[in-house]
Amino acid sequence: MLTTKNLEYWYDHKENKLFNNANLEFAEGKLYAIIGSSGSGKTTFLSLLAGLDKPSAGAIEYQGVPLSKIGLTNYRNKNVSMVFQSYNLFNYMSALENVLTAMAITKAKHANDKEYVFKMLSNIGIDQEMAKKKVTHLSGGQQQRVAIARTMCCDARLVVADEPTGNLDEQNTREVLNLFKDLAHKQKKCVILVTHEPEVASLCDQIIELKNKKFSIV
Amino acid sequence: MNFFNRAFLNIKGKMGRTILLTLVLSAILLFVLAGIIIQNAATSAVNSAKKSSGATVTLSANRDNAFKKMRQQKSKSKTPTLNLASVNIKTAEKIGKSKYVKNYNITSSTTANAKSFDAIETSSNNQMSNPMGGKSGSSSSSQGDLSISGVSSTDQVSSFTSDTSKITSGRGIKASDAGTKNVVIEKDLAKQNSISVGDTVTIKSTSKKVYKLKVVGIYKTSSTTSQSSGMMGQSDPANTIYSSYTLANSLKGTSATAESVAYTINNPAKASTFIKDAKKSINTSKLALSKDDSTYQALLTPLNNVKSFARKIVLLVSVAGTIILTLIVILMIRERRYEIGVLLSLGEKRWKVIAQFFVEMAMIMVVSIAIAGFGGKFVGDAVGKQLVSQETSTTSVATSNNSNGQGQMNNGGQPGGNNQQSPGGSNSSSPQSTSSTQQLKNLSTNISVVSLIQLAAFGLGIILLAIMIGSIGILRLQPKKILIS
Repeated sequence: MLTTKNLEYWYDHKENKLFNNANLEFAEGKLYAIIGSSGSGKTTFLSLLAGLDKPSAGAIEYQGVPLSKIGLTNYRNKNVSMVFQSYNLFNYMSALENVLTAMAITKAKHANDKEYVFKMLSNIGIDQEMAKKKVTHLSGGQQQRVAIARTMCCDARLVVADEPTGNLDEQNTREVLNLFKDLAHKQKKCVILVTHEPEVASLCDQIIELKNKKFSIV
Repeated sequence: MNFFNRAFLNIKGKMGRTILLTLVLSAILLFVLAGIIIQNAATSAVNSAKKSSGATVTLSANRDNAFKKMRQQKSKSKTPTLNLASVNIKTAEKIGKSKYVKNYNITSSTTANAKSFDAIETSSNNQMSNPMGGKSGSSSSSQGDLSISGVSSTDQVSSFTSDTSKITSGRGIKASDAGTKNVVIEKDLAKQNSISVGDTVTIKSTSKKVYKLKVVGIYKTSSTTSQSSGMMGQSDPANTIYSSYTLANSLKGTSATAESVAYTINNPAKASTFIKDAKKSINTSKLALSKDDSTYQALLTPLNNVKSFARKIVLLVSVAGTIILTLIVILMIRERRYEIGVLLSLGEKRWKVIAQFFVEMAMIMVVSIAIAGFGGKFVGDAVGKQLVSQETSTTSVATSNNSNGQGQMNNGGQPGGNNQQSPGGSNSSSPQSTSSTQQLKNLSTNISVVSLIQLAAFGLGIILLAIMIGSIGILRLQPKKILIS
């Protein structure tokens, strides 16, 4: 589904590459974990997969088509959905409005949008009363669930998450990971997580480690 | 149009910031609106000044040349005589056909003695107004006790246009009265002699010829000075009788001529052009055209000052408002960079993000316009009144100087004789300037739909500029950089 070909990235000088010749393949229905030490370039790699930035060299292909051809804005809009460590929800909106706004931007269509979102939020433990509250009134775990619900309701086949459990306690971490598993295994999406927690990575289908500028499958 | 919905949710969700922005924008728009309404009021006042203050061009004898000739005669040890040329009526009528002429008044004045009735005598006035020490009101042979003002129409006489004189019964003199012996007499004169409209009175010209006149109207004057003040006899304003200029000519023993013709110009700015054209039809060594647009000019200067000041207010407030708003928008956008990053990560187009900010500000602007609409009237009134009061005092000084200058000219020009200018001409500056000053004082600072549309356009321009400048820094970045930084 998603392939990286000789992918390289550097900030200022070519000599200071974050990673070299990354050739990886990501398939639908699987949950991937990318691990590595802090500052190794995991988040940068994820941002390239999410179409938030352009690679310095090499290419990324989505279903065989280079992202440069699809167009990054178009790619982000239709094919990929992101979950951030700090949730990045619209703090002036309710949980329901956050999800509906994302659906409107990505043009995700369902029979009855509002009912559909209520159902999805309910499935991940956010009831209607909570869904109508401003997200700033929800706990960190609840906000991350809303962020995940946002990716579930959008029709993107690829979900990328940057340290999605970084701000959560053990119980919430487990619950959120179960949601990601469901996204991969039940909704057949390709889910790629970046984490520095080995316990989280161990629950994923495949672990990819970034070490010494090289990716390797653990 | 999801950005409309986002904008609405943002406005609603961040009420504190919305109120703050509304207040800032209201303050800016309040002053812009005040500037706009003062500017519009000044513009319409200038236009109405053009129409109402008017300008008159008087065709009369070339007095400078006449005096020059008189001095030359003196040097050649001849008995000096002042020969003032008369205006040929046909020439006057030809000039009156100009497209710049609104109307014209042919004037011819003389004096006569009352025969079948008594002229009003004012003892204190007699002494004051008779510099020669003679008894006013006496039936002197060279000067009569009545002042006969021959005009084309009393409607065009300034004392009537300025309401100093008013027809109380019957009618005024009309152009159709030319060739008749119809007259309009003063109310006090009529009352003293029990004369009413339709009565016939007799007068005797200075050449002892008796004329039967038909009273067609009675007027009341509030003037305390005679049109012919300074002359022997007819010093009391009640002794002024209005007739057709043809009757005045008959009394004087002339015909087809007039002392002066006052042309009312439809656009004061075109007075000079009219004079240039009219000069082609006259002998300029004998006749002269004098322009009196002092009222218009005196009014134009302060109005233009008010207009220019208002324009500066609008400009200054716009620049300051744009700077203030831009800084606020920059801070607002910086504060919302994560939101922008998330929107971009969701694949939202950059222009839609800018559009969201614009719609938010536009929604706030609608409320601000309403607030400015209420407050702008008061600020506009206050600033307008202050400006006008300053400018009016300047105008009054300037106008009074003009009037004094004219007065001296008229009085000094023809001692004891008929006024060179028509009854509507010689005293024209005072009543007109009074009404014009009134007009300036009544500068209408009402808020019109046009003002509000102008304000909205202005507000949208300021907002657009502020958002464009404020967004540049963030929107040129890749979403990753926004989210990571």
